Amino acid sequence: MDPGQTYLSLEEPNNANHLWRYSPWKKVHPTGNTREIPDDFSEPEITLLLLDGGEVPEGVTIIKEPLETKQNTFSDPVSMNFIDAVSSNHKFTLKVKNNTVLNQPVVLKINSGISNSAMNLTIQIGRHCEFELVTQIVGNAPWFGLIRNSEIGEGSIINDVLVGQMNSGTLLRVDAINIGRDAQVKAGSISSGSERTKADLRYMMNENGGNLRVLGSILSADKMHIDHHVEIHHEAPNTFSRLDWHSACGGNSRTIGTGMLRVANGAVGADAGQLFHNLLLSEKAEADSIPELEVSEHDVVGCGHGTANGPVDEEQLFYLEARGFNPDDAKDALIAAFLNSTLSEMGSEILHQWLADNLQDELKSLTTSETN
Amino acid sequence: MTTNQAREAVGDYKAGWHDPENSTIRFDAGLSEQVVRDISELKNEPEWMTEMRVKAFKHFDERPMPTWGNMSMLSEINFDKICYYLRSSKATENDWDDVPEDIRNTFDRLGIPDAEQKWLSGVTAQYESEAVYHSIREDLQKQGVIFLDMDSGLREHEELVKKWFGSVVPYSDNKFSALNTAVWSGGSFIYVPKGIHVELPVQAYFRINAKNMGQFERTLIIADEGSSIHYVEGCTAPTYSTDSLHSAVVELIALPGAHIRYSTVQNWSANVYNLVTKRGIAHENSKIEWVDGNIGSKLTMKYPSVILKGEGAHAEVISVAYSGSGQHQDAGAKIHHLASNTTSKILSKSISKDGGRGSYRGLVTVSPKAENCKLNVVCDALILDKDSRSDTYPTMEVANPTARCEHEASVSKVSDNQLFYLMSRGHSEEEALALIVNGFFEPFTRELPMEYAVELNKLMALEMEGSIG
Repeated sequence: MDPGQTYLSLEEPNNANHLWRYSPWKKVHPTGNTREIPDDFSEPEITLLLLDGGEVPEGVTIIKEPLETKQNTFSDPVSMNFIDAVSSNHKFTLKVKNNTVLNQPVVLKINSGISNSAMNLTIQIGRHCEFELVTQIVGNAPWFGLIRNSEIGEGSIINDVLVGQMNSGTLLRVDAINIGRDAQVKAGSISSGSERTKADLRYMMNENGGNLRVLGSILSADKMHIDHHVEIHHEAPNTFSRLDWHSACGGNSRTIGTGMLRVANGAVGADAGQLFHNLLLSEKAEADSIPELEVSEHDVVGCGHGTANGPVDEEQLFYLEARGFNPDDAKDALIAAFLNSTLSEMGSEILHQWLADNLQDELKSLTTSETN
Repeated sequence: MTTNQAREAVGDYKAGWHDPENSTIRFDAGLSEQVVRDISELKNEPEWMTEMRVKAFKHFDERPMPTWGNMSMLSEINFDKICYYLRSSKATENDWDDVPEDIRNTFDRLGIPDAEQKWLSGVTAQYESEAVYHSIREDLQKQGVIFLDMDSGLREHEELVKKWFGSVVPYSDNKFSALNTAVWSGGSFIYVPKGIHVELPVQAYFRINAKNMGQFERTLIIADEGSSIHYVEGCTAPTYSTDSLHSAVVELIALPGAHIRYSTVQNWSANVYNLVTKRGIAHENSKIEWVDGNIGSKLTMKYPSVILKGEGAHAEVISVAYSGSGQHQDAGAKIHHLASNTTSKILSKSISKDGGRGSYRGLVTVSPKAENCKLNVVCDALILDKDSRSDTYPTMEVANPTARCEHEASVSKVSDNQLFYLMSRGHSEEEALALIVNGFFEPFTRELPMEYAVELNKLMALEMEGSIG
């Protein structure tokens, strides 16, 4: 069925569903009229280069794919079909050939433009590839929707980092990542910029030996509302996953982290864990965490989750102040260190340095808005 | 469920016998406004209570079933087949000799009169819809402690009941609190005056005997300033091939400096839906503890809650759940930190076996004005075989930057190392498993009165029989 028709045939999501509990679909929808599918969405500008500005090698291509892309079946149907419908003329495929090994990260820069826009991106990564992919979203669109459907081939080692840096507006992101046999994936999310972010990130491990690390560094300032839902499905035996999510929340902002770790019957030897850390920096900030766990297999290495919320640690502040930091600098350093602990795990040293340089302005805005 | 399936599901359930039904009043199955009014009239209640019941019934009627939890099990409840009121004795007695013989025999077999003599301050025994026996130690009565069944509480202390009834759990809270408010019968009413400490626990025991029975007791406990009380409740029912419904509401009010501990070991048979709303309000420097054991029932949905309203208040919820064949224990806890310097602790342990499903569902909130709150949530689950399942659904909403909140959960199997250690010291594998399970539940059992803890350990050992091989 046409995605627009499918979307219209669906009921409006219920707030009892944790996915929509804190960001009702009505507020995420571009017009607020959830029965409407606007038809004036523009195509974002995209560039694909190496991090040092060089051309990407031959094995890496992005094409505007006119054919229907394969739909995943494990994402939320409402947001997926909606973006699919409004991006029907903006479907792209990023292909990476088997055995592609790159020393420089590949940067896919997406400029959302100045009007509502959307994009449906299929990422096909072949077998035994080793490289880093950065998807950077910038621009001034009031609303931008992005689907990323990924297939990561057998034995590949991939660092896949998405940086959300729109200047304002709403970002709706749907990721559906299939992890192949013995593939190792680090999936990083850095979120800052857009006023409202709703991200639904789902990872499927239905082949033996998949290894996944999901990392988040969330900088939420002013009146931002940043809502990430992360689902990790262990379907096959001997799969491993860790989620480590750090949110720093200042101003009047609110961050939400909902996680679902699902271990299916038969996923023998699964080893899964998730941790949400929230740093609250102002009186009006709010952080919510729901790390859910559903385990239907008893022969597991272990499954667990945890959350921790708190202010900046007074003892650490004292330690830094005793060594000459003024109180503001000490606090800023601790906030940066808190976010950096996941940022530094997302990829290589080159990538880390690029991310740290890129996020300086956002970090400043966070630390100045903390007392507002 | 056929009789054979019921037998299989219940296994070694020791409280599964039933007595011949000798009701003095039995309402026809089904619920209507007239049934609600008839219950109220039968009890000769004041007008305001009748009106509250009717409003609650209308709310129940209009409100849809929950859209979360085990919706497929919930959809199997047929409210039209349930009997909403059944009285088996003419009055509530204060001497076991005056209780009808068959009912007395039931409570004898459950060991209630014996326990009363040895280690309790007072006992209420409820059979179907009404309390059949009630007593409290004379010295406590002289100190002004009120311990009555809820119907007598309404008759004898109407002003107190009117002030507090529904103040913690309004009928509009959820579909099942509305149902309870509409058709409640029995339960306990307790008032502990200022500064009085009730040293030994008081106990209520709830027994369903009839088929397709609904039991809707209502409990209200008010601990006045600086007082303390420990309330213990137990529940059993016969095994039938058709379902029964237990939907209670419990309201606790701990006034400044008071301490209420509410301990439950529910061991309903595997044909009982146990859909209960339990909530307390803790004022300044008071403490409310829920010690909650869920062993029986077909589906339990129970999330004991505490609203920390006064500065310095503390809440604890310690719960264990055992889910066997055909069972879903959907239990958890809710704590709302509304005031500064409040603290809370939740410890939840669950075991799933033979295809059972254990779920922890929790909510912890810290309001913007609640400074320096601390809370800690720990959930541990053991899955004993390949057919069973364990879920954890915790929610944390923190709106104050000074709060320190921690949550951790783990799901695992019984460690081979632990089994090997015990077996190398002469235990059979089954004994070793039972010991490990008892050790896993130990943080819960050590909070129970000793007699209960011993019984619970025996019960768990029985449940573990046949776990190996």
